[in-house]
Amino acid sequence: MPERIAATELNSLVSLLQADGYRVIAPTIRDGAIVYDEIASAGELPVGWTDDQAPGEYRLRRRDDSAAFGYVVGPHSWKQFLFPAREQLVTLRVRDKQPEWSAVADEGPAYAFVGVRGCDLAAIEIQDTVFTKGPFVDGRYRARRDRCLIIAVNCTEAGDLCFCASMGTGPRADGDYDLRLTEVGDELLVEAASARGRSLMDRLPTQAGGEALQVQADQAITQCGDAMGRSLNVTDLPAKLMGNLEHPRWQDVAERCLSCGNCTMACPTCFCSNITDTSILSGDETARERSWDSCFTADHSTIHGAQFRPDVKSRYQQWLTHKLATWTSQFGTSGCVGCGRCIAWCPVGIDITEEANAIAAGPGHPAPLPEPKQYEARENDGQVPVPVRVASVVRETHDTVTLTLDLPDGYQHGHGQFNMLSLPGVGDVPISVSGSNGQALEHTLRDVGKATGALADLVTGDVLGLRGPFGTAWPIEEAVGRSVVLIAGGIGLAPLRSVLREMIARHDDFPHLRLLYGTRTPNDILFSRELLGWIQNSRVRAHVTVDRGDSSWDGNIGVVTKLIRRKRLPKDGLYFLCGPEIMMHFALAELLADDVPEKNIYVSMERNMKCAVGLCGRCQYGPHFVCKDGPVFRYDQISDIFGKSGF
Amino acid sequence: MFKLASCDGCQLTLLDCEDELLAVAEAVDIVHFPEASSKVLPDGPFDVVLVEGSVSTTAQLDELRHIRACTRVLITIGACATTGGIQALRNFADHDEFVRAVYARPDYIDSLTTATPIADHVGVDFELRGCPIDKGQLIEVITALLVGRKPAIPDESVCLECKRRGTVCVVVTKNEACLGPVTHAGCGAICPAFARGCYGCFGPRERPNTRALATLLKKHGADDPEVRRHFRLFTGYSKEFREESERHE
Repeated sequence: MPERIAATELNSLVSLLQADGYRVIAPTIRDGAIVYDEIASAGELPVGWTDDQAPGEYRLRRRDDSAAFGYVVGPHSWKQFLFPAREQLVTLRVRDKQPEWSAVADEGPAYAFVGVRGCDLAAIEIQDTVFTKGPFVDGRYRARRDRCLIIAVNCTEAGDLCFCASMGTGPRADGDYDLRLTEVGDELLVEAASARGRSLMDRLPTQAGGEALQVQADQAITQCGDAMGRSLNVTDLPAKLMGNLEHPRWQDVAERCLSCGNCTMACPTCFCSNITDTSILSGDETARERSWDSCFTADHSTIHGAQFRPDVKSRYQQWLTHKLATWTSQFGTSGCVGCGRCIAWCPVGIDITEEANAIAAGPGHPAPLPEPKQYEARENDGQVPVPVRVASVVRETHDTVTLTLDLPDGYQHGHGQFNMLSLPGVGDVPISVSGSNGQALEHTLRDVGKATGALADLVTGDVLGLRGPFGTAWPIEEAVGRSVVLIAGGIGLAPLRSVLREMIARHDDFPHLRLLYGTRTPNDILFSRELLGWIQNSRVRAHVTVDRGDSSWDGNIGVVTKLIRRKRLPKDGLYFLCGPEIMMHFALAELLADDVPEKNIYVSMERNMKCAVGLCGRCQYGPHFVCKDGPVFRYDQISDIFGKSGF
Repeated sequence: MFKLASCDGCQLTLLDCEDELLAVAEAVDIVHFPEASSKVLPDGPFDVVLVEGSVSTTAQLDELRHIRACTRVLITIGACATTGGIQALRNFADHDEFVRAVYARPDYIDSLTTATPIADHVGVDFELRGCPIDKGQLIEVITALLVGRKPAIPDESVCLECKRRGTVCVVVTKNEACLGPVTHAGCGAICPAFARGCYGCFGPRERPNTRALATLLKKHGADDPEVRRHFRLFTGYSKEFREESERHE
């Protein structure tokens, strides 16, 4: 039953929370704004203050009453306490040249959040899904979340930038709170929703008669819902936005957008992060640190020095379509809660509701997105490397080596999955598994940068870190009894080698097996001895072509698509493609022109995997995360976005 | 460590690395460091050279060419070396008139009409920004060089650093003129934390939308001369800030 309490008794609540061992975080005034910070008493609440907000503008103003919650949301959000702007994930200690990685335990305080609005309660639940609903669970986030106590506040006055009513997240604060307050005049309606909340309510100097106050509270909340300063038409919004990627408005907003990233930082649901290894120059212990990142930075979409979202337009498009469209496929809800922070804290006042409403009303045909995926949550957060020994190093070509590693205990993988290989002070690199047996695990990598160069320089006996396996595998069981064609370009042969080996060994299951492999020159041919074996093996028809031949080469010359054209390929067969995107683009065009159905083609899209556990946001590929939904995709899952600029 | 036209502040940053200085000295042989030692070996060859300062005289240009010729990895440090620095403001004015107005004996003065960044004259392997540079970033560059990886120096706006430290935006709350959205991060967003706008000491970030920022400055009441002055500070001769300032001539 709801009860009532005098607003002047708020300090009893703060004292109770403190006595229970909580650090009380609440709205308080600092630097001309209402921020969230620790308070010592209810006297530090912004009693008698409100905020006037407009796009790119925020001002405090005195109220003519002494309301304790008479304002909406400010520059901060609760995510800074649950998902700190910087935190250490893993420490690394090197003893006698032996690296040891260990997880950083979360030993932070228990927070009591006072004054969580409906939009912010929804935002916390959205981040709960991101960090704890799998496949990997961020243990630090979950520990902080489990400890924290939430005192929600229903909104009775809407701000000019609020649109929670459109998003279905407010003004009533429904969801996972412990205690909920509604301010009505100089009283507060108090409702408990958990054992912790009820325990607090029992100890507060409340009075009966909450029902009468509830009527007034409900009325005020309803009026607030009708008085929203902004609205967003969410009907079929994801499909409408994805169907209007060519709308001229994107370029228009790009000219106004500073691409400063303030919207993403102020957003209570944005979760992208960067991961860096701190300096190892002094001391023998270093750390891997996670910090808030933004899709508006170049680094967020840079692989091997190439940016796939080079301009402001594609970055804004990524942000808006992620927030309002692809998020739905990734996590089952919109990524926007209608709090209006991105509008207020954008220095040039770009209004998400105005932009999204205009773009969604465009002439493009709605492009529906895939249904949300469900993941099985694992206990292991996948972020701590285990030390593994290099058993041998084989140089395949002038720039490519195969590292054979001792198999870590209990390690099992599917063909096509990848591992993160880690060197102290250098960082993490995603590398596909190119082969394995009961004792050893092979990774074939090309020396293209500083980190892969350092891996290529390893020698037998060296120790490195391994995390994994991650991602999806080639659908080998689906291929049983069917014609299978593997099409590889360059280093793309590596992730296909292990699946090919198994298919050759299981000849009865895979009687019609073909490999088409193209590479730059005869000197770039990978696994040449094994390849020769395949060419001579009647269980597989293997064909090799090179872009440029030399005097020693009397085989095929030309790109791999030429081979596709030359061979009679089965329409009902399964195709596994791996190689540079440009090669896959042309190979796909050949297959589709030959009427091979999209669902018969699988492609490996290795792109920008950084954390590898679905948390950092970098490898987003439209509605997918390459690290958890890929790298192996059935082509019809990505055909709408494959090869499109901005993705 | 070499210096051209500069205040020595960036060299001092290395001396400021008190906790890490011994580790640095252990990892590398410091053979030329004018700010820290009277015994210098300027002739090379060098594995790594850090240069502060801009090219302001012909003698400096000759010295720079000599340094480049005997150096494997050349890293420029600070606003002067990477953008020309505060002295590059003379590039927007009449050099000879300055010389006549300031010096009793102008004929003693032998300076170039412009002060220019090092990359305008010789190839540079890495540019570390700032006025002065940040000591954490300096250690990161040295560490990355030793380990053989790319330095983790994020090319992003100052706004991200502001938000990570929880600073309330001075543009949104006070209409403060702030170059943060177009400026390369690295300082830790010091000025906004003290209620001031960013002065752009670290120079332009990648793809800075200076036009949109100039429009905002005007919306908040700045006229063309003011907009010009905001862009012409410590890194005013950088390409992006220079071009924006010239749009407000």
